[in-house]
Amino acid sequence: MPRAVWGFLLLGALACLPRAAPPPGVLRINLGTEPPTLDWTRATDSVSIQVIDQLMRGLAELGPDLRPVPALAERWEVTPDGRVYTFHLREGVRWTDGEPLRAEHFVYAWRRLLDPQTAAEYAYFLFPVRGARAYNAGKLRDPNAIGVRALDGRTLRVELEGPLVYFPSITTFMVTYPARRDVIEAYGERWTEPEHIVTLGPFRLEAWEHEYRILLRPNHDYFAGPPRLKQIAAYMVTEGSTALILFEQGILDIVRVPPLEIRRLSSHPGYRRVPALRGYYYGFNTEEAPFDDSRVRRAFGMAIDRAELPKVLRGGELAASFWIPPGMPHHNPSIGLRFDAEGARRLLRDAGVDPAKLPPIRVVYNTDQTHRLVAQNIQKQWQNNLGVRVELDSREWKVFLKELVVKPSPVYRLGWGADFPDPDNFMSLFASYSANNHTRWGSPRYDRLVERAARERDPSRRQALYDEAQRILCEREVPIVPLFVSAINLLVSERIEGFEPNPMDLMFFEGVEAH
Amino acid sequence: MSGAGWVGAGLLLALVTVALLGDRVSGHAFDAQDPDRALETPSLEHWMGTDALGRDLFARIAEGARVSLLVAVGATGIALALGIVYGAVSGYVGGRLDDFLMRVVDVLYSLPDLLLIILAKEVLEGVLVGVSDLVRTLVALVLALSLTSWVGVARLARGLVLQAREEAWVEAARALGARGPRVLTRHVLPNIAGPLVVTAAFRVPVAILAESTVSFIGLGVQPPFASWGVLASDGFTAMRSFPHLILFPSFAIAATLVAFHLLGDALRDALDPRRKL
Repeated sequence: MPRAVWGFLLLGALACLPRAAPPPGVLRINLGTEPPTLDWTRATDSVSIQVIDQLMRGLAELGPDLRPVPALAERWEVTPDGRVYTFHLREGVRWTDGEPLRAEHFVYAWRRLLDPQTAAEYAYFLFPVRGARAYNAGKLRDPNAIGVRALDGRTLRVELEGPLVYFPSITTFMVTYPARRDVIEAYGERWTEPEHIVTLGPFRLEAWEHEYRILLRPNHDYFAGPPRLKQIAAYMVTEGSTALILFEQGILDIVRVPPLEIRRLSSHPGYRRVPALRGYYYGFNTEEAPFDDSRVRRAFGMAIDRAELPKVLRGGELAASFWIPPGMPHHNPSIGLRFDAEGARRLLRDAGVDPAKLPPIRVVYNTDQTHRLVAQNIQKQWQNNLGVRVELDSREWKVFLKELVVKPSPVYRLGWGADFPDPDNFMSLFASYSANNHTRWGSPRYDRLVERAARERDPSRRQALYDEAQRILCEREVPIVPLFVSAINLLVSERIEGFEPNPMDLMFFEGVEAH
Repeated sequence: MSGAGWVGAGLLLALVTVALLGDRVSGHAFDAQDPDRALETPSLEHWMGTDALGRDLFARIAEGARVSLLVAVGATGIALALGIVYGAVSGYVGGRLDDFLMRVVDVLYSLPDLLLIILAKEVLEGVLVGVSDLVRTLVALVLALSLTSWVGVARLARGLVLQAREEAWVEAARALGARGPRVLTRHVLPNIAGPLVVTAAFRVPVAILAESTVSFIGLGVQPPFASWGVLASDGFTAMRSFPHLILFPSFAIAATLVAFHLLGDALRDALDPRRKL
């Protein structure tokens, strides 16, 4: 909250400044907020990812077509049964303190991710690895029993519980990046501060001025050659409109366009729009009445005319009743609840719920213009179509995330951006064991379908499994109501060359130049 | 009352009328949405245009007037009542009690207003349970705003009482056997009412502005209800593309401030006893 005030003051102060010539080689971006953490094993949010992806690399990285290509591993092999992967690390990769990268750094990082003591929300990412889930649940005490082993300094062997078609894709994601036991144990919580952190990606952390900016400079020892930029300055301007003014004054080089400004700026030469692999949904706390009844959840889902949302947001959003977004394999647009206000009211009656007697439904979102617009539209639709009362409340992002874990409100908004371009990433999110599933809903049948799909190599059989799982999620049990698929709307300064927006909303700056 | 005073009073009357009738005059409910007609500029149908959800901005400003005026007048009323009692007692009794009460006021006076308002509002919201969100926020806002403004009233009231209690007519009342409370309520207070009424008129705009500030940073009433501060904050985000969204709420705030100032000025002149001579 107070950041809004600072943003406003900053805007005032900056508006008075003359236009300074931008320093060549320096890229100035806006993170939008302070990253909750730079500890890549524990991070969960897109702001942290944006910084971490400049600092670190994994075994593989995403190529231009979003397929995994070798990064820290120069190659890998998989046994014919699809159960054992062997990664061969690139020679001569060094951390920023000069220490060579070794296979043990992966073993340590993966054990740390899975350690119940770490309580990492993304631990389930490695559950396909043999013994990982049992270790995370505390049923298996011995970390050596987890199926990840350093055969020698440069060879990492991973044994899976079963075949997994997309496993190399997982290794492009931050929670699987290697980590240094010596650094983390020496500095504890403070190991991510610039004076302690040790990384090996294209950029290194120069300074972290909390709630103001992060400065990155090139890592001259980067294995793929140093990036061309001299510096990245990542600011934390909360207000999208403030950031836009800073862009128009030549103080920021890349900004997101606030929804209401898109119409004016869509003809700007630096305007870019790409559809995102990002779903936006409303989740229910399925443990509390009235949303402990799937009929009530279904009724609330059917009472939303999603076609209104793109009109309100105007950022190229696509109304979505399904959960796997287009652009992802096994997407199926025919899945999901259709808008049917009459049917929704009937369903509520069947469930024995009298909308007039229901206490106000509380919808909580994190403070942001888009979320506020969506919330007000949904509030109105539910009031009009169901006759229920709806109260809105907003929270600052960190508080919001904490509340989701501790005590989710009856209805909350969240989005999910792809961590890797496979439907499993969207579907296993709502598995009963996923710590990112805040609905408190779990279905053994859903879990089984998603797990089988992850192992299924035949595309048409895999499609059938995901279709069935999506029907449970979006039509029958409805712990979440998908609303729309987002688009990415950016303005890129003309002095920036070689930057391309990416449907996963990842920003890569190795090939970027700033004139 | 002077001409400017009448202008202020007229402006205020217009505002109250709009607040009371608002969305009935324009024919649009303040929370009725029509996404197909979002972000329209002012027209005959939508006098002040529409917002991102296709809601009529005039109806929302009228609704905002209700919230803003209610909060501001409520907060000023409480501040006035509390401040007068506190200040009058302090000034009339005097001595050690006066010293103590005034040191408390000094401490409160030294705290930054906005910080205190935000803190008080959060605490009060935690305490108020079992009411609807809107009521809770409104009550918390009113109490939080009055918390920071009563100290000024208390100082003023104390000063006025100190001055008045030395006057001959107070002595006369005492000589006739009137005791403390009676002297205070029957003789002192009516004589110092003028400056207090004036200060009230000046405090309402301060409260409106404070409420706008608190709402602007996202701590005001929750949607779909909106105070002028909320509307201005919404409009601010689209200032460049849709200036009508910020212009009209800002104009409403400015007009109210001017109205109360003109009225306050006029009242001060009208109620000043020396001016009549």
